[in-house]
Amino acid sequence: MKTFKALSLLLSYPELDLQAAIPAIRATLKDEGLLGPHRMGHLEPLLASLAGDDIYDLQERYVLLFDRSRSLSLNLFEHIHGESRDRGGAMVDLLETYRAGGFDLDGPELPDHLPVLLEFLSTRALEEAQGILADAGHILVALAERLTRRQSVYAGVLEALVALVEARADTEEATALLAEPEDDPMDLAQLDKVWEEAQVSFAPDPNAGCPVSRDILARMDLPVRAAATAAE
Amino acid sequence: MSQLLDKLNFFKSLRKDTFAGGHGQTIVENRDWEETYRSRWRHDKIVRSTHGVNCTGSCSWKIYVKSGIVTWETQQTDYPRTRPDLPNHEPRGCARGASYSWYLYSANRVKNPLVRGRLMKLWRQRRATMSPIEAWTSIQQDPAARASYTKKRGLGGFVRATWDEATEIVAAANAYTAKTYGPDRVFGFSPIPAMSMVSYAAGSRYLSLLGGTCMSFYDWYCDLPPASPMTWGEQTDVPESADWYNAGFLILWGSNVPQTRTPDAHFYTEARYRGTKSAVVCPDYSEAAKFGDIWLNAKQGTDAALAIAMGHVILREYHLDRQVDYFEDYTRKYSDFPMLVRLEKQGDRYVPGRMLRAADFDGSLGEANNPDWKTVAIAEKGGKVVAPNGSIGFRWGEQGKWNLEEQAAGKDTRLKTTLILDGDNDGTLPVDFPYFGGQATTQWAACDFPDVLTRNIPVKKLKLVDGEAAVCTVFDLFAANYGLDRGLGGDWVTKDYDADMPGTPAWAERITGVKRDKIIQVAREFATNAEKTNGKSMIIIGAAMNHWYHMDMNYRGVINMLVMCGCVGQSGGGWAHYVGQEKLRPQTGWTALAFALDWARPPRHMNSTSAWYAHTDQWRYETVSSAEILSPTAPAGDYKDLSLIDYNIRAERMGWLPSAPQLRTNPLQVGAAAKAEGIEAKDYVARELKSGALEMSAEDPDAPENWPRNLFVWRSNLLGSSGKGHEYFLKHLLGTDHGVLGKDLGQEGRQKPVEARWHDKAPEGKLDLLVTIDFRMSTTAVYADIVLPTASWYEKDDLNTSDMHPFIHPLQAAVDPAYESKSDWEIFKAIAKKFSDVVPGYLGTETDVVQLPLQHDSAMEVAQPHVRDWKKGECDLIPGKTAPAYIAVERDYPNLYKRFTALGPLMEKVGNGGKGIAWDTKTEVHHLKALNGTHHEEGATKGMAKIETAIDAAEVILMLAPETNGEVAVKAWNALSKATGREHAHLAEVKEDEKIRFRDIAAQPRKIISSPTWSGIESEEVCYNAGWTNVHELIPWRTLTGRQQLYQDHEWMLAFGEFFLTWRPPVDLKTISADATKALKSGEKHVVLNFITPHQKWGIHSTYSDNLLMLTLNRGGPVVWLSEHDAKTAGIVDNDWVEVFNSNGVLTARAVVSQRMKDGTLFMYHAQEKIVNTPGSQITGKRGGIHNSVTRAVLKPTHMIGGYAQQSYGFNYYGTVGCNRDEMVVVRKMNNVDWLDRPAKVEAAE
Repeated sequence: MKTFKALSLLLSYPELDLQAAIPAIRATLKDEGLLGPHRMGHLEPLLASLAGDDIYDLQERYVLLFDRSRSLSLNLFEHIHGESRDRGGAMVDLLETYRAGGFDLDGPELPDHLPVLLEFLSTRALEEAQGILADAGHILVALAERLTRRQSVYAGVLEALVALVEARADTEEATALLAEPEDDPMDLAQLDKVWEEAQVSFAPDPNAGCPVSRDILARMDLPVRAAATAAE
Repeated sequence: MSQLLDKLNFFKSLRKDTFAGGHGQTIVENRDWEETYRSRWRHDKIVRSTHGVNCTGSCSWKIYVKSGIVTWETQQTDYPRTRPDLPNHEPRGCARGASYSWYLYSANRVKNPLVRGRLMKLWRQRRATMSPIEAWTSIQQDPAARASYTKKRGLGGFVRATWDEATEIVAAANAYTAKTYGPDRVFGFSPIPAMSMVSYAAGSRYLSLLGGTCMSFYDWYCDLPPASPMTWGEQTDVPESADWYNAGFLILWGSNVPQTRTPDAHFYTEARYRGTKSAVVCPDYSEAAKFGDIWLNAKQGTDAALAIAMGHVILREYHLDRQVDYFEDYTRKYSDFPMLVRLEKQGDRYVPGRMLRAADFDGSLGEANNPDWKTVAIAEKGGKVVAPNGSIGFRWGEQGKWNLEEQAAGKDTRLKTTLILDGDNDGTLPVDFPYFGGQATTQWAACDFPDVLTRNIPVKKLKLVDGEAAVCTVFDLFAANYGLDRGLGGDWVTKDYDADMPGTPAWAERITGVKRDKIIQVAREFATNAEKTNGKSMIIIGAAMNHWYHMDMNYRGVINMLVMCGCVGQSGGGWAHYVGQEKLRPQTGWTALAFALDWARPPRHMNSTSAWYAHTDQWRYETVSSAEILSPTAPAGDYKDLSLIDYNIRAERMGWLPSAPQLRTNPLQVGAAAKAEGIEAKDYVARELKSGALEMSAEDPDAPENWPRNLFVWRSNLLGSSGKGHEYFLKHLLGTDHGVLGKDLGQEGRQKPVEARWHDKAPEGKLDLLVTIDFRMSTTAVYADIVLPTASWYEKDDLNTSDMHPFIHPLQAAVDPAYESKSDWEIFKAIAKKFSDVVPGYLGTETDVVQLPLQHDSAMEVAQPHVRDWKKGECDLIPGKTAPAYIAVERDYPNLYKRFTALGPLMEKVGNGGKGIAWDTKTEVHHLKALNGTHHEEGATKGMAKIETAIDAAEVILMLAPETNGEVAVKAWNALSKATGREHAHLAEVKEDEKIRFRDIAAQPRKIISSPTWSGIESEEVCYNAGWTNVHELIPWRTLTGRQQLYQDHEWMLAFGEFFLTWRPPVDLKTISADATKALKSGEKHVVLNFITPHQKWGIHSTYSDNLLMLTLNRGGPVVWLSEHDAKTAGIVDNDWVEVFNSNGVLTARAVVSQRMKDGTLFMYHAQEKIVNTPGSQITGKRGGIHNSVTRAVLKPTHMIGGYAQQSYGFNYYGTVGCNRDEMVVVRKMNNVDWLDRPAKVEAAE
């Protein structure tokens, strides 16, 4: 479905040709009707901004949001694997999915770049596309939420994607992601919590390993409480 | 049931339910889980590479690649074996290396070329109608337009650009700058080439072809120990880490080996198993302290006092009361101990003066060549004064006698070290020595001895050309300087270790806090081991000791101990300084490529410390006056009237230090003017300088003509990591938001410099363009105007060597550079191409006039036996003799790209060389043409060897360097033989036919070949150790005496009281000023501490602390460490946010309160970036600052000396250094932690 392609474009670096293509993108989204009027309404501020604002302002905004902020990275595996060595393997898997679909990557982006994935999905049947995208549902939820907190017009695109796969914010994975600290932590208590050390105790099980690192790792794997609301 | 039916007759079961006597059990179950591991290990290929940062580790790694994506990496384990009795080198590599590789796909990567949005808008508007150079010119000539982007540096606002567009802006800016101001206004900064030498060479080759300025790094980082060139005429040469294993006694002096030398630390552990004893000198309870058999917790900054006391014990027990044969023999042959020093009469007192020279005698002792540069001594037999072989006068202008054979005037001659015996002297004289210990301020113990200590010295009266003079040996002065009583009577000498007198262990205990018994014990064990093993006592040093203002004293303290005990040049012994220089082993092959010596000589080199001091206007805030550091025994002169920058200006004028920019006038115009008159450039410049029509830029660093205009920073985080005086960089060089709190000399009404022109209003924003080339958004990138994304370590081909091991191995492109990044080689090639595209019609073939200081390892190093300033009329201006040399160099700007990619004609015409020797390279050029192919296109480079790819460039290095081409090594040793008159080629002959190529090292790291560039050898018998060839091949050290020079007799060394080692307390930088402390409310709790910046565990070497894994292991952002007591004083508890400030600026960090810390000190590990988790400062309202926000570079005049044997300029060899350890800071708890998480204020429409 072209909707995926359109959303891929909206998440791409804004250039003059994108500005010119906004009416066509809007029309495509309307024609295909995958997004209801409510979602379209949420997209409109971005469409208007991309169509009408100064290109340099648009570009500066994009670089700041997506190139410079780790928590808003459009490389999906940044949010799953970070700098872990599992990331390489995960990207290889994704690359093989593309190849199985008859495509090879062209250009400089990595396979886990969201616009890349969306473009690929635009070549697949809707049901299959939704299925693949649903695997990343919790990341989309988290990105949508973070962009909303920043009152960014880009939130509309992520909300649209969330709606397309009917991802839910109350799943375990999404909760976990949302609980992770942001790049610009307003909530100091939350920031500290991750690093808090448990009291060292050598009883009753002396073989259970270092409780300090165990606890920290456990908290980092699966934060114990849902996203902070204070910052919103 | 019959058993027969159950029993198998023809089979036995493969499966055993239990085995190993019931200890093992076989279970059948699903094993699908193993797939996880199988898929994790999958790969299509394994590529060898390494991490090309400024880390000495130089560890080879295996990179696993699947479908063009790096999946993971492991340590290589295939280093060649070295010597049979030595532990293996592998595995090399540490947790930092393993985690940092993941920059490859990190969200921190710079993905596209970025340009500051406002600059991009200006550029495109103008570029719509104008040519690139016109467009840049129009932006620069419109002050409002220029300010619109320069004032926004560091405040975000980047947009993506294409490579084409970004390189076009850079090329146009470079061309405009070269034509308008001069090519020397284009600066480039990149450090530590050894770790990725082709990447360094890419930028420096471009700059050198342009005529731009390559800036030094080793001195600026303050990793260069000036004591090394002073003593040995050698930048730094050290044993490989494997040689630690051979030591019998190891002192770790301020080096934290387990933390900062992780891949090598195993040799330290293994040496312990072998029985080596180890002492650790370290103020805090560091990881190294835990390794020591004995820990000497000296107060920070008092190392020299500790070393003096140890030297006192060693001299007393091993040289005076009992003479160890080996020590006596060693110091007579290999140190300046026997040389004669003239005692100068100053009023009614005597002070140590110049070393006596052959020229001081009637007939110059028969030495017609360089008699001013031949030091003299007394022969043991006959007592005659002789000029022994090996002094620097024999190095230039004659051949065959520059060696350390015990010979003088062609005869065997043993020298006398002391005149102590009655028959040898003409009585004693009281001689004055300066004592600076009373100047100690704040936390350091001031011992109230007089500032002049008079001691008796045995002297000989000699008749010289200017009358009778009293002379003595260096050794007799040396022993007196340590306060040792030799029965000559007089004051300030003692036989009692417990005497409270400068030099004794009791005195050192007061200053260092280390108990005298421990000092005596370590000194004895160190010396006794050296006695029993012929010098196998070693001292490992890190940067810690070298970052003090008086670092030379710390270093000369330990060097003296090593020389007294015959340790230097002996395997398992010597001076092991491991900081920053990161030995570029194939050096002479690399310099040809890196500085484009194949096209034009000389390149423009600049010592960064002096340049940044001037151009970031740190000199305008100088708090240290020369009167404070001058010796009470200084000779007559205007020393006291000069400020530190005045010394630097004089040094530049006399040709001692380089300048950048060089002349106020564009050197291309100077070249054209000389040509128009038909006279040589040097004669033209000399005439015009004397008339005043030409002026050196140094004299007016704030005049717009003298500003640096373009700056490239690559492979470096200059602003985030190494920029001492960070806030001054921001204020004056970049012209953006800054946190400077102090006032300048003008505002404070203090004495201004006499040589530097003062402008009441200091310039802000000198740079037109800052280009940062990096693969991540570093602090420097954040401040840049253009950021170019470069390849990371697994995405490019390059070479890597280290001083820690004897191998050369590669970086290789395991995968293509991610996103739009390119390798450094391809980036500069692209800029060169663009430059050659835009420049025709604007610049053509031009004559550039290059200013060259008097170079070490050239005949210019014997230019100035006395200090004479031509501007004061003390001598004539003779370029290359009393002033810098001025050399015309042809630039072919339209062909710059062609020159960049071809091996130029000078390698065939002139040959190659280094460190004072030269050899022919015709054969190598021929081989390179065959190997790399030749250019076929008509034009400037037809028929020349190609240097198109980074591998081509690597082959040039490998082919031309003696270390990687045995044939060249033999040629180089033969060239050296001419000077020494001794045969050396046997050191390389066995490897004459060995030529190491890039594909060889891709297969396996290779051992390098022995070369005269270095003072140790690569052999199957001994480990590499510095000074080995001096001791065993009798090659002189490249110093005045040709020996290890413990007495420094240059006029400025005498003036500043550093002819010998002495205890100099840290200087008072006066940064806890009223301006700085006005932020403190009355009664607000705080503490004033000494600010120390060691190397960390949670960043890769000194950079890259923004990695999530490393941040996770530490506290996730900037931290400072302080002791429990200090924390209590300031009301700080662990993990509090604190503000650290002084008049230089402010930083914010979390506090780590630890029992490990010594009271009075604050640690902030080097290079924690302000881009990570740093809140705003309460004082400035700006984001926190970095460790260098509270520092400022302070220059030392003795580091500016030039034209004087070993004290002559060389790039990264000698010069001012950026010290920063003497700094004091205020620490207080932050009450209000502000993350500044608001959008920048919207400004009025532009």
